[in-house]
Amino acid sequence: MNTPPCKPFIEVANIYKSYGSIAVLKGISMTIQAGDVACIIGPSGSGKSTLLRCLNGLVSVDRGTIRVDDFSVELLQSEKELVPLRHKVSMVFQQYNLFPHKTVLQNIMMAPIQVLGHNKQDVHERAVKLLAKVQLSGKENAYPGELSGGQQQRVAIARALAMQPEIILFDEVTAALDPEMVQEVLNVIRDLASEGMTCVLVTHEMRFAQQVADQVFFTDGGVMVEHGAPDRFFNNPSDPRLKSFLAKVL
Amino acid sequence: MSKETTSATFGFFGVVAALLAVLLTLYGQGTGEALRVLFDRSSLLLTGSSNFSGFGGGFSANVIISVLSMAIALVCGFFLGGAMVSPNAMVRSVAVVFMNLLRSSPWLVVLYAMLYLLPFNVSIFGHHIFVSPFLKAVIGLSFPVTAYIAEAFRNGIHAVPDGQWESARALGYRRGQILRLIILPQAFPLMLPNLMTTYAMLFIGTSLVVVTGTSDVLSIGKTVIASDGDDYAAAVYLYILLLFFLFAYPLATWTRALERSLSKGK
Repeated sequence: MNTPPCKPFIEVANIYKSYGSIAVLKGISMTIQAGDVACIIGPSGSGKSTLLRCLNGLVSVDRGTIRVDDFSVELLQSEKELVPLRHKVSMVFQQYNLFPHKTVLQNIMMAPIQVLGHNKQDVHERAVKLLAKVQLSGKENAYPGELSGGQQQRVAIARALAMQPEIILFDEVTAALDPEMVQEVLNVIRDLASEGMTCVLVTHEMRFAQQVADQVFFTDGGVMVEHGAPDRFFNNPSDPRLKSFLAKVL
Repeated sequence: MSKETTSATFGFFGVVAALLAVLLTLYGQGTGEALRVLFDRSSLLLTGSSNFSGFGGGFSANVIISVLSMAIALVCGFFLGGAMVSPNAMVRSVAVVFMNLLRSSPWLVVLYAMLYLLPFNVSIFGHHIFVSPFLKAVIGLSFPVTAYIAEAFRNGIHAVPDGQWESARALGYRRGQILRLIILPQAFPLMLPNLMTTYAMLFIGTSLVVVTGTSDVLSIGKTVIASDGDDYAAAVYLYILLLFFLFAYPLATWTRALERSLSKGK
């Protein structure tokens, strides 16, 4: 990584976001180091997914600052200004959101060619390697509808990786999957983490968070209640809200 | 043959047989004579000329008017529909009001309005263009149809899940690119049955252009009745009914088949 280790890679300071009269984020701050795996957990409706979407500018904040590497995300207004950020920060969604009218290979190759203007041959080579990495070689010409949920989600990860990002955001990527497919997706994320990719996950997979995360964040009611290394976080939580949440999910 | 094909075939022959039965009941012994009149006048009713020597009148006029109106309405409806999904609230509301205005105008009223609102001559850059009744009919019919197409277009775009927009934005695509590369290719198949139904409605609606004085199948029919006598009026109108049916029925069947394959593909 080109950032010095002392300077956090992602720095969110005191952000607020309301939809109409509903306040979703009420002064959230967090910092994430380059190469770290950060897991955001919390009850549904606690603003986790909104927080994640603030990091790549899919959601604009009302107040506060978000710095991702050298980008001041809250200042980026036009779609054009956001392109370099989207290049650096990829995202994978709960519902996969693959493009159903395109083949697996086209899904992976589209954005690098059409958005980043990369050379088609290079992107093709990259896409084939990425498919091998997510263990879907041979599925190049399949359509998303012909794949299982776990396979689709792995294609979505390959598509995110094809942008050559430095950060990947995972928004409850296993929540829509059948139990037996959860592991195959988590394994891919585990590999990415071990290669030093900065990963920010909103997840309900507590065991995964415990094993893989460098930092865990707990949000409830739009505020950051507690954060810390997984050992202390899971074994010795201090906030009563976190205690009761963990008692329910563990 | 599948169940759908069988029922479609039955429907087809059923209607033709029913029309023949009505003809038989009305004319009894004289049915043969009525059929001969229809046969003799077929060229006039279909093409507007005798012995199929020309083209562009009669039933062919209805076909041409419907195709031209549809073409105009597709282009205008595409832009109006695009304005209705604009991110700009001002543009959006103006477009929605305009669409509703067009959609709620009765077709016959629009046609009469065209007759008196459009001048007979328009000069564009010194060129004088004669605005024929035919042209007025085409323009008049394209107004309400534009509204239907704009609405189909908007619904088609809204039928594509929001997640497609979100993931495309996350990949760095801009709004216009998302519409063009990701949303429209998915929305178009969803819109197709709707567009075909609209076309079928427009086609049936071309029978109204008789009020503009275009020599469409209905006004030719009236001429034929005037020259051959009122006795054959019923036969002529049954014949015209059959023509419309023969054109519109396959369209409707095809639309239903498309809808079925779409709902299966989901």
